[in-house]
Amino acid sequence: MMRYAAAIGLVLGIFTADMALAQDVRITPARAQTSFEINGQTFTIARNQDTSDTLTGEFARTSRECPPFCITPMIVAEGVATLGELEVIRFLEQDAVAGAGLLIDSRLPDWFVQGTIPGAVNVPFQTLDMANPYRDHILRALGAVKLADGTLDFGQARALLLFSNGAWSDQSPRAIRSLLDAGYPASKLSHYRGGMQSWRALGLTVAIPRNEG
Amino acid sequence: MIRMTLAFFVFALVLCAFIILRPGRDAPRAQAPDMTQDVEVTRAVMDPLLTPPAAPETVVVAEPVAAPVVAAPAMRITPQIATIDSSMQATTAAVLAGLGVQTGAEPLPTPATDEMRDATVAILSNITARTGAPAPEITQRPTLDAIVVQALQEGQSDDYIDALINAAAATGDLAVPEILVTSDGRVDTAVLLADIVAQATVATGGQINSSPAIDLDDSAGVEVRIVQRADETVQARFYTVQAGDSLGAIAIKFFGDVNRYTTIFEANRGTLSSPDRIRTGQRLVIPNEA
Repeated sequence: MMRYAAAIGLVLGIFTADMALAQDVRITPARAQTSFEINGQTFTIARNQDTSDTLTGEFARTSRECPPFCITPMIVAEGVATLGELEVIRFLEQDAVAGAGLLIDSRLPDWFVQGTIPGAVNVPFQTLDMANPYRDHILRALGAVKLADGTLDFGQARALLLFSNGAWSDQSPRAIRSLLDAGYPASKLSHYRGGMQSWRALGLTVAIPRNEG
Repeated sequence: MIRMTLAFFVFALVLCAFIILRPGRDAPRAQAPDMTQDVEVTRAVMDPLLTPPAAPETVVVAEPVAAPVVAAPAMRITPQIATIDSSMQATTAAVLAGLGVQTGAEPLPTPATDEMRDATVAILSNITARTGAPAPEITQRPTLDAIVVQALQEGQSDDYIDALINAAAATGDLAVPEILVTSDGRVDTAVLLADIVAQATVATGGQINSSPAIDLDDSAGVEVRIVQRADETVQARFYTVQAGDSLGAIAIKFFGDVNRYTTIFEANRGTLSSPDRIRTGQRLVIPNEA
């Protein structure tokens, strides 16, 4: 009996030791992962613990044709902040959780459904173009208020953090330019230029959206 | 001797390698500006083009292209009527289908804005799911064929239909085929209703009269010039646009068929930017029957 217990203990010991090893890939020295709740839905962001993992497929590619997949500038427009992964996570934990901000995936729906940043909402870049006669509806859903004279007031509009596939994708810069054209204040916009490629390259959690498109 | 030849050969080889390698190293640097210039040109050409919304990384940019063209006719003070790309035939076929008459014509293509509408509805539900705030409702835009079908089924008069459609078009909620826009900024419902009757006649086995609708010699704005050349006499026809004319109406006037508007439009491309932009007093070249 004792022998069995020892064997089980040994197995458990190895297992927990393995678990402890599995925490080696942390987001920062202080935190291994983060969980937050947006409008009743819980999201968790951690990193892939397989230290031998590498990117494969589309996000491992280095050389896409330019145009259209050209290297985008660091700053999309004056007043629009460019963020990195930790700021993206902080935006989700603070602004998005409080209902004051939205993380926006600017890519087309077929990209979005293949995996996005946890907590992101898909608003494809071309639906924010002035060619979309229904653009005002989206802006109002984002918190703009239509005034009596037909113009939009963005005083209560949400802070938006936009991203697309990465530094070679003009989709989120384009969406930001469209929002600025529509009158969205630059101070309420920010850009995660690294996008899905940087997010995946760091092994951060990729969410597969359900029933969204 | 052999050693000398060998040494010479090696020297030649090294020289060749140098010659080959040097331009190879310089080429990318020399070509670089050319390549960026190529890129610029392609972009400039590509951007204003109407690309299908389905293609990734491209967007339909109709408005910015149209804007500078609109600026030209300063005398146009009438409100602008929204237009759709679908042809008269498609609109007529949709009306007849709504009335239960099958014409065999291509069905009305779903306008791009409806794809945008569907996409927007999906996005609004995504945003709502994340924010919990109610999304603004999108009301369905009325379509020209739906309005006409309903009015015809109610047995309304032509005048009533004309007033109804023009009231809807004036608010910008209703888009109509370009050739129905008149020189004074209204919708030419007479041409639409005439085409519906004509197509219905064809669909039910009748014959339509596709000769000119009026006596051309005795009509305002028509001008016929006889040009004598060395061995032939050429008749040149012109038409001065009258108030209330649409390109569709002019096509019926000269060819008896609304769909012949393309003949007139093509012949006047230089002065007519779009079929819905004819102006009262504008002089159009009317090609002779082919």
